[in-house]
Amino acid sequence: MTATTRPSVLAEPPFRVPADRADLHLFLQAALALEHLTIPPYLTAMYTLRPGTNRPAFYAVRAVVLEEMLHMALVANLLNAVGGEVLVADPRFVTGYPALLPYSRDRITVALRHFGVTALETFLRIEQPEFMSGPPGHPSTRGDEGWTSIGQFYGTIREGVLRLSAELGERRLFNGDRALQVGPEHFYNSGGEVFAVTDLASALKALRVITEQGEGVNMSVFDSDDRIFGEAREPAHYFRFNEILQQRSYAPDDTPAGGPTGPAVDVTWHDAYPIDPGARVAHYPPGSAVRRAAEEFNEVYAQLLCVLESAFTGAPRAIGDAAPVMLRLRHLAERLYRNPHPDPAKRARGLHASATYEVTERHFERARRFVPRRRAG
Amino acid sequence: MSAGPAGRDARRHDVIVVGAGMAGSLLAKQLGDQGWRVLVLEAGTRTLDTWPGYLDALDTYYAATAKVPNAPYRPNAAAPSPSVLDLEGLPAGGYRAHGYFLQNGPLPYSSDYLRATGGTAMHWMGIVPRMHPEDFAVRRRYGYGRDWPIGYDDLEPHYRAAERALGVAGDADEQREGAGLPFPPGYVYPMRAIPRSYLDAVLAHRLDGAAVRERPDGPDTVLRVVATPHARNGTPDPRYDGGRGHRPAGAAGLPNYGERCVGNASCVPICPVQAKYNPLKTQATWSPRVTLVDRAVVSRVLTAANGRVRGVEYQRYDDPATPAHTTRTAEADIVVLAAHAIENARLLLVSRLAGSSGQVGRNLMDHPMLLTWGLMDQQVGPFRGPGSTSGLESFRTGPARGTRAPFRIEIGNWGWSWPAGSPGTDVARLLGIDADTGRPRGRGVFGKKLRESLGRDLGRQFSLQFAFEQEAESRNRVTIDPSHRDPLGNPRPVLTYDLSEHVKRGMAAARTVSDQIFRLLGAEDRTGYAPGPLAPGWFRHDGRDYVFNGAGHGGGTHIMGTTARTSVVDQWQRCWDHPNLYAVGCGSMPSMGTSNPSLTMAALALRSGERIHRDLRELKGPATVGRQQGGRP
Repeated sequence: MTATTRPSVLAEPPFRVPADRADLHLFLQAALALEHLTIPPYLTAMYTLRPGTNRPAFYAVRAVVLEEMLHMALVANLLNAVGGEVLVADPRFVTGYPALLPYSRDRITVALRHFGVTALETFLRIEQPEFMSGPPGHPSTRGDEGWTSIGQFYGTIREGVLRLSAELGERRLFNGDRALQVGPEHFYNSGGEVFAVTDLASALKALRVITEQGEGVNMSVFDSDDRIFGEAREPAHYFRFNEILQQRSYAPDDTPAGGPTGPAVDVTWHDAYPIDPGARVAHYPPGSAVRRAAEEFNEVYAQLLCVLESAFTGAPRAIGDAAPVMLRLRHLAERLYRNPHPDPAKRARGLHASATYEVTERHFERARRFVPRRRAG
Repeated sequence: MSAGPAGRDARRHDVIVVGAGMAGSLLAKQLGDQGWRVLVLEAGTRTLDTWPGYLDALDTYYAATAKVPNAPYRPNAAAPSPSVLDLEGLPAGGYRAHGYFLQNGPLPYSSDYLRATGGTAMHWMGIVPRMHPEDFAVRRRYGYGRDWPIGYDDLEPHYRAAERALGVAGDADEQREGAGLPFPPGYVYPMRAIPRSYLDAVLAHRLDGAAVRERPDGPDTVLRVVATPHARNGTPDPRYDGGRGHRPAGAAGLPNYGERCVGNASCVPICPVQAKYNPLKTQATWSPRVTLVDRAVVSRVLTAANGRVRGVEYQRYDDPATPAHTTRTAEADIVVLAAHAIENARLLLVSRLAGSSGQVGRNLMDHPMLLTWGLMDQQVGPFRGPGSTSGLESFRTGPARGTRAPFRIEIGNWGWSWPAGSPGTDVARLLGIDADTGRPRGRGVFGKKLRESLGRDLGRQFSLQFAFEQEAESRNRVTIDPSHRDPLGNPRPVLTYDLSEHVKRGMAAARTVSDQIFRLLGAEDRTGYAPGPLAPGWFRHDGRDYVFNGAGHGGGTHIMGTTARTSVVDQWQRCWDHPNLYAVGCGSMPSMGTSNPSLTMAALALRSGERIHRDLRELKGPATVGRQQGGRP
């Protein structure tokens, strides 16, 4: 298949419990894209903080981004465990922004926004805990309504894994090559660790980590890092973002309804570079330093996805190579965001230049010169 | 200054540990886990064990003009620390000492330490080679220095325990073949080796297998670049511990922040992501039976009958900037001094304890360092990664030790930052700013030309760091003088220090070796040794100039031996004169070989912990231990 004939977006999973292995692959690849969808907006919030300021917010957003990366790795492990093939270094994998949050009842627009109230409100919508709606076909879910929440989406995957494991038998379902699994030696101590998915128990554990780190456990504020990984438990993503928005942290006995009552969190909203959420590389004057930096950022981001794809498709140790690429991204971000927007009108509004995450086939082609593709065929 | 009313600590402890640095923290961890009640008294503050406190140290470091080892850490008048900036070289040679130490030796003791929670291991490099088996018997084998009462084999299990506690990354097979160190069959370190730097690879390509001679008629020594073991997080080795693997310790003070080493290149003085081991990580795992009291300067050890000690007197202060304090006492069955070689000696001298051999404070050692530096004929990528990732190990032992001090060659990854203050000084020079006065002196280059010039030259910088074994000499010593006191009224250390002919001959040999290595590399030698304000360690030997530096490896002040007549502590680091007083740390080492000493210090501390556990069981009976909840008997 050539770039010109294939569809420009990934196939969407149907609104039903995955019925066979191919269905499950489709769902898990979609889950991978979903986990990745949140990373550019979260990175944008982090990179627009003026260096050295808003440290509590910086570490909170950083911790969430790391856990989204952990979720990506766990979904990739699960997809490999059931004999699927991971696709990451592909323009179809990277959505354009603003994007519409999938699997939600409401139309939630996810844009690349600078650190601030608007960005955090979007993040809260993304991570919002909800009563789990039953999977499609469940008596509690009317037939044609469509997805209501990300929690429901993951609940559906879980249901599919359980059913297929019962139908095919656990050993037949988890028939993937164990050598493809990324393990804890490559990702540890960052709100959990990557573990190999090889059977039903580890598959369910992976799905549990993903939902509980995002939404919390059993209607509580906190995740289950203490129970699953023996690490410090922390507020789930929704509540970590809420701590910044409310400028107050959760006390150990706080409930979601009661709101945070712990110590104040120091946030200085003006210590962020305001950016244009609709920024495109094409908006920056050709040949300018800002244009070059924005282009390079997208290229290095493509390199990061190439490294991840290598790691998820046969070379697990390659995931260690992601660290220097991410350091380059951080460095490029510092160089880029500090510049006032080249457009005089936008500059007058106080806007700064920003990374656009427009990652196209051209970027991947160039990136593959540095990160050769390991995928066969 | 006045002491308030003396308060006695109402709770009785099994053990008092003086100092919350590496040795003290590991011991407290071990004893607390075994069920003993441990009181740790730390002279400095414990700000660093909070994440905002740690970030404050990072900010202080980033803003500091001179990025010296103590640059990140706030000054503390109540518990002052020495700084390498305290020494000033004189124009025609000689030195002047300012700051905490008083110095009266022919050459300056040029190392510092840190009095704060975590201790000097907050700013250590994190390099953890084992000592060579021959290093334990230098007097018997080579006729210099002093011998250990124990050997490598006695310490080997404790080396493994220390490597577990520090989470060491290394390649045991390479250490066995390249450095001649014995390991048990099949041993692997907790983590895989930290990747070599690009410079290491370039040097290995040009040096591996080549031979050099210390004298024209001397034997060939074959060179080999060998990767160094590190106490920093890399990739855990799943083969470790019989296949159970290793779980790296994350940062202290920030939950779930466990970055691996990503080459921030500021291990000394502070790792921004705590990939490097520091004792705060051990403290975070202390059992609740371990109590840390900070801002508690132990002023003396208190004695009881029969040569036993009963506890310590300490000064508790609130504000590190003012000398106001209250004096308290704490009592325990066993007292462990773990406050650094020089502070341990100072405390024993002040308390007039352990002195029957006359050796307290004597045999002060360091690893004197000789630096050589130059420009490679290609870009070698300096200023990235840990300060050193490989070394040349061929000069660490062998018959030549009979005539000159042995040395280990660290390959320096940070350009000329140590020998010449790069890259700041390079920028200043190109801008036309005078290094000594800081004043503009002429026309500089700016903009693109400046960047190009820096890019061309900085990227070719490299240095070799020669670390020499300094043998125990009783004339090198710590004393006290009641007329020189710190703001709390405690006598300051008075140091007398010099380098022996043995060490100086080692340096001469190293310079010869360095010249040959530079030739093999095709590198341009830029080494220069001249007296001046930044060269307090300048001296002449045999018609040649040298400038040495300290390594921060102070040791030998309460030396270990086989008899009470000739040494301060026994093989368990227990004072011969006081059966329940231990002095642990590098101060106990009769020789330090050419290995960075922290790993050996940690192994010794864990070994002493086993002895202390037995002592306490004998003192208190097994019933006491049996009552402890969750304790491991």
